[in-house]
Amino acid sequence: MARVNNWHLGREMSYPYEARFPERQFAFVFNINRCIACQSCTMACKSTWTFSKGQEHMWWANVETKPYGGYPQSWDIKILHKLHEADPGGQYWDGVVSDERTGPYGQFEGKTIFEAAETTLDPESSRVVGYLPADEEWSSPNIYEDNPVGKKGVRDQLDKVGTELPVHDTWFFYLARICNHCSYPACLAACPRKAIYKRPEDGIVLLDQEQCRGYRKCVEACPYKKSMYRGNTRVSEKCIACYPRVEGTDPESDGVPMETRCMAACIGQIRLQGLAKLDEDGTWAEDRQNPLYYLVHEAKVALPLYPQLGTQPNGYYIPPRWVPKPYLEQMFGPGVERAVERYKFPDRELLCVLNLFRRDNRIIFRYEIEEGPKIYEGNYRGRPFTLYNDTVIAFGEDGRELFRTTVEEPLHVRTNVHANSI
Amino acid sequence: MPYGEPDPQDPHALIGVTLPGDRESMREMAATFAEEFAALGFDEAQLLNLFRKPQNAGAHRAWSVLGEVEVRRIISEALEIWGRFRFVVRDAEPQPAGSQKRLVQIGDGPRLIGEDD
Repeated sequence: MARVNNWHLGREMSYPYEARFPERQFAFVFNINRCIACQSCTMACKSTWTFSKGQEHMWWANVETKPYGGYPQSWDIKILHKLHEADPGGQYWDGVVSDERTGPYGQFEGKTIFEAAETTLDPESSRVVGYLPADEEWSSPNIYEDNPVGKKGVRDQLDKVGTELPVHDTWFFYLARICNHCSYPACLAACPRKAIYKRPEDGIVLLDQEQCRGYRKCVEACPYKKSMYRGNTRVSEKCIACYPRVEGTDPESDGVPMETRCMAACIGQIRLQGLAKLDEDGTWAEDRQNPLYYLVHEAKVALPLYPQLGTQPNGYYIPPRWVPKPYLEQMFGPGVERAVERYKFPDRELLCVLNLFRRDNRIIFRYEIEEGPKIYEGNYRGRPFTLYNDTVIAFGEDGRELFRTTVEEPLHVRTNVHANSI
Repeated sequence: MPYGEPDPQDPHALIGVTLPGDRESMREMAATFAEEFAALGFDEAQLLNLFRKPQNAGAHRAWSVLGEVEVRRIISEALEIWGRFRFVVRDAEPQPAGSQKRLVQIGDGPRLIGEDD
């Protein structure tokens, strides 16, 4: 295997192919603190791309309840378990969390899904440690949570007396997921037909259905299980990142790069999607005024999902504040403590950037802040807190302003009827 | 799986695990929802409704465990800051008339007026 640089892991790792990077990389940040699992993203994707016969089990975008939910069922537990078997006691992070652009989370000392394959799989053609979920594991986008199952043994009938959603006696949160359009895709690495490729212009990972023969190696290899097999066409399918929208070739986009359908449908305003500039070594080029760059590399409040798997995913998450840290560290790596602390008490700039989420369907390439006067100073939850009337301005690809957000004190106009009622 | 009981012989099935968590994580979850939605413009009544409704599983669980009095205190703490202001979005000035293409449905799919045949 070739040696490639994985900045999430803070080190080089093995990968079946030499590293090749796009000019810009499709990337996104999801703020879990705001997700209420309304499933609008799930349905937006479903009604756009996977509504046909043979695609009934496919949810390219889904929202699952953590820690017990998953689509397919227990996908993360299963792959973590496999890596634990391949490297018992060795799956840990070392080093320190730093402000460096390369290796900001320390160094991962364990084995990735590619490295575990080198030592545990035979024959040599097996390039990735993974597993093929059974058909029934794909049956629910959020198992046991939003899928009332009805009476046992009675199919296709409503429950006459109603039923209750489960009551959780402990913490939980909602994890929205799509394909991470990884920098080192496991699906691409595993495909014996070389039917999967990464677009040089935006890093979107696509599957060429003309080339695919339905071996399901990609389904087996993708640790996030975002490559899916379609029985009636006998080829696999996956999220295409709504690439006509990202390109600006979708009729609705009017030539301007737009966010994907799942982003645009998000009523909780948890999502921000864009394109990150890359350096030659695959790290993010410094792009200080790009909101994604700011969230991932400056504020460092957005963290990759299961970075230890080794695919260098391009989906980042602002972790939920209330969840015990050990669980979050397993899911997002060692940067959790810093991310939660900064998000909980946001500074002036972070507060502005958080106000860019879901204000427009067009992709934001740059932002600027016009500083305004101090409008509040006080204590919040035992800490000093100051709020300024700053204006954050978002710009599109062509450098033109898209919109601006600012702070206003609500103005209540008393009606004539009550004009003198005080 | 969704139509059957968990198989205790399945090594991957979640049968019983200890999840660390206490009243503090519940209080933190409630504070997060209160702050996030107050910042989105919810007032006191709307926030309280968010917690009272069983459809909002996370918020409602916090309301059941912590009680209405504590939830009201959390809401009022969040509104103390986020209730004072609202974030206003202003779109940039539209492009000059005629420069934007208009969508119409012709034949098999959408086309742009002004596009060459």
